[in-house]
Amino acid sequence: MKSKLFLALPILLAVFSLCACKKAAQIVQPVQAFGAYDTEPDWNDGTKLVNLGYQESQGKRIFYQYCVWCHADASPAGPSNRSNLTPVPPLLNDGDKLNGESDEFMQNIITLGGSALGKSAMMPPYGKTLSSNEIKEVISFTRAIAQPPYQKPGRQGSQYTTK
Amino acid sequence: MPAEDMGKLTYRMRLTFAVATVVCVLVLAISPVKDFRAEWKKYKRSFVRYAQGRPDTKKLLADYSPKIDQVWLPGMNVVDRCTTCHQGMTQPSLADASVPQPFRAHPPIPHNVREWGCTVCHRGQGPATEIAEAHETTLAWEQPILPAHYLQASCGSCHHQDMNETPQLTRGRELLSRLNCQACHKLNDLEPPMLGPELSSVGNKISREWIYKWLKEPRTILDKDGNVTVNGYESGDESRMPKFRLKDEEIVALSAFLSAQKAKPIEDYKLNPAVVAAWSKKPDLLPQAELRFRQMMCTTCHPLAVTRAGETKLIGGNIGPELTKVGSKVNEQWLVSWLRNPQGYLAHNNMPRYGWTDEDLYKVSQYLLKQLTDSDLLTTVPKLEAGTDEQIKNGRRLFLEKGCASCHSIAGVTPQKEFGPDLTALGAKNASELEFGKAKITHNLLSYIQAKLQDPVSVNPASRMPQYTWNSADLDAVTTALLSQTGPKPTSALQHLTVSKVEASYKPVGDFAEVYERYKCYACHRFNGYGGTLAPDLSYEGSRAQKKWIADFLKNPQTIRPTLILRMPQFNMTDKEVNTIAEYLALAVQKPDVNPESVDSRQFTPAMASLGKQLYEVKYQCQSCHTIGGTGGYVGPNLNNAGNWLTPAWTEAWLRNPQALQPDTIEPRRNFTEDEIRALTAYLMTLKAGIKPQTSTSAANARPVGQGAGR
Repeated sequence: MKSKLFLALPILLAVFSLCACKKAAQIVQPVQAFGAYDTEPDWNDGTKLVNLGYQESQGKRIFYQYCVWCHADASPAGPSNRSNLTPVPPLLNDGDKLNGESDEFMQNIITLGGSALGKSAMMPPYGKTLSSNEIKEVISFTRAIAQPPYQKPGRQGSQYTTK
Repeated sequence: MPAEDMGKLTYRMRLTFAVATVVCVLVLAISPVKDFRAEWKKYKRSFVRYAQGRPDTKKLLADYSPKIDQVWLPGMNVVDRCTTCHQGMTQPSLADASVPQPFRAHPPIPHNVREWGCTVCHRGQGPATEIAEAHETTLAWEQPILPAHYLQASCGSCHHQDMNETPQLTRGRELLSRLNCQACHKLNDLEPPMLGPELSSVGNKISREWIYKWLKEPRTILDKDGNVTVNGYESGDESRMPKFRLKDEEIVALSAFLSAQKAKPIEDYKLNPAVVAAWSKKPDLLPQAELRFRQMMCTTCHPLAVTRAGETKLIGGNIGPELTKVGSKVNEQWLVSWLRNPQGYLAHNNMPRYGWTDEDLYKVSQYLLKQLTDSDLLTTVPKLEAGTDEQIKNGRRLFLEKGCASCHSIAGVTPQKEFGPDLTALGAKNASELEFGKAKITHNLLSYIQAKLQDPVSVNPASRMPQYTWNSADLDAVTTALLSQTGPKPTSALQHLTVSKVEASYKPVGDFAEVYERYKCYACHRFNGYGGTLAPDLSYEGSRAQKKWIADFLKNPQTIRPTLILRMPQFNMTDKEVNTIAEYLALAVQKPDVNPESVDSRQFTPAMASLGKQLYEVKYQCQSCHTIGGTGGYVGPNLNNAGNWLTPAWTEAWLRNPQALQPDTIEPRRNFTEDEIRALTAYLMTLKAGIKPQTSTSAANARPVGQGAGR
């Protein structure tokens, strides 16, 4: 009998210590809100929402203050200025036009303006108004809402996952 | 057992010892094995493997250590071990979204992770080394990680001043203040509450039936078929009055009490009988009346519901109340005396005192009373006689009990102090401090706040809080603003880092003060950070505009921006008032470093102007945003009359650096040389196409659409 007790004790101990390992509970995902600062409706299909990261959501904010007037079909004041301009400025989500341009080119044309890069002088330089970080944010917003979707050039991200 | 066998080990005992030893070793091994297999060690190892699979391995593993990594900031009470697993936090090459979590870099923000730690903003349990403990609610730790969608709340707990970078928080604070939450709750850093209308004489203004209807459906006035004709919320111009869960007899009592409030008699003003007689016979009275209503630009502040293509929308400003059905609401004598002198009825009221003639008063009041009506509005309301004494007494009690008195004052009724709970530290509360009642929601702070906002009785059946209607973006914004109310900072270091809110105030003096108050300039315009945002900021108007232009504009306001349809109302100011304003703005409301006298326009030669024209049209193509003579862009103001409007000194300063004069302007700062600035200014000063006097039909036919207002 006693020997059985001897056996039982460590086994119980082992069971208890194993019990202490607990399972990770599910993390509750926040519900995405329509019209929120960190989502943008797909411009070609209003029912789809594009989720924006921190940088992209800051880009959205800057876009809707400075760029929306000429690079969207409607502006907060109603009509868009786009139709007044020749050549017509590209819509910000126009992937066919903008996906081919590198981040460096986009950074330069926003910083220095159209005329510095041999494009239309109607695009003014924003290098003295926005910081280079803010311009990066606008570019990342452009990439996020591009249709067709933007693919990063060069080497694709590793397929490696942590799981 | 025989004596000689004592002390010898039997096979049985050996076996027992052997098993016990093995078990013992196994038990002892559990701890090291568990330690080896600890979650954070797995992430440490997999980061090494991940880094080895990338071209920049060396850089990524430069300061790698297999131990627990932590940010320790004693002054701020921070021990954050998050970087143990989130190892790529400060590696710019891991910023891309394709990098698997938890290795992705932190997006570039103004604060350095090593100086601030993680939990200051993200919450969660910093010293924890297990995923669940760090991120979720446990018995010992009730502050789970804050979902990224509400993260701006953390910005707000130190930054009491509004920031551009946190639109959701700013919107939330704006809503808390607009919806007047402070009237019942204690909250930090909000604008002083803008109370609902004082009701001391409300019985003179509206009928008991209308009050009944309003108390039943305050946000959405339903017609007799139950259709929502104007849903104030959908348009974004929400009525501030929420819905109280009132029973019919309570509404009867409250309406009796309110319609008995007649503290101040209506000002006795008789319109000239000759004017009334002449106009009341005209067949085109109503069209003419509507024309006058539009000419006065009442819709700049007051919205009207318009149905187009089957869709009902509110169109117009959101400063004053919506007027779609005002004819079924107010009585005629009250309306005329109100239009003459709004402050006579409500002393603290932002409606300007217009210089109406009797003819204007008659026409506009007839338009409001005859045209803006809904004959079916009150058909569902039971017949109500004058209230009995008992009803009035009950109504008075309910007025206090339901919290009406927190927002609406009535002479002789003292509101209860601290009607709702103090919310200044709501954002730091633990789940165990909250009451969830029978609500089937996750027991954490976030879902508590959202449940309470959406349906106050769901978590507390006895709640006195009224029902608000939210769209999801506004609900999240208010939640964010409430989460930012974390009370005083517990640690000294953070207390010193807090950015406090700057209170703005502007008090003009002298004759101008009187006109400023009469026309309520501050309802739309901003002066040194104080005032409305509908119309341009006038803090530096004296440096910007020429005195004569200001005077002309006040006499005949026109929009300067091509897309704007709302514009400044016509106040019918007297010459004396116009001069007072023009003199005061030109002399006293200046930017110190832009003296209008400093640049003499006589120095500009025609050659400079023609160079300026070249620069404007060819080199810089300003016409992409600005209009001159009918061609050009919609973005900036039109420059047709720039030579009469702007001072040369302002124009030069503006071209040098627009943001220095108006920080949020969208006009980019350019690389003009000083000569180019001179030339452009010379050119702009030659543009003197004066505004034609207003023709009555064009203004009346203008579509009342659009946002913002012109100057």
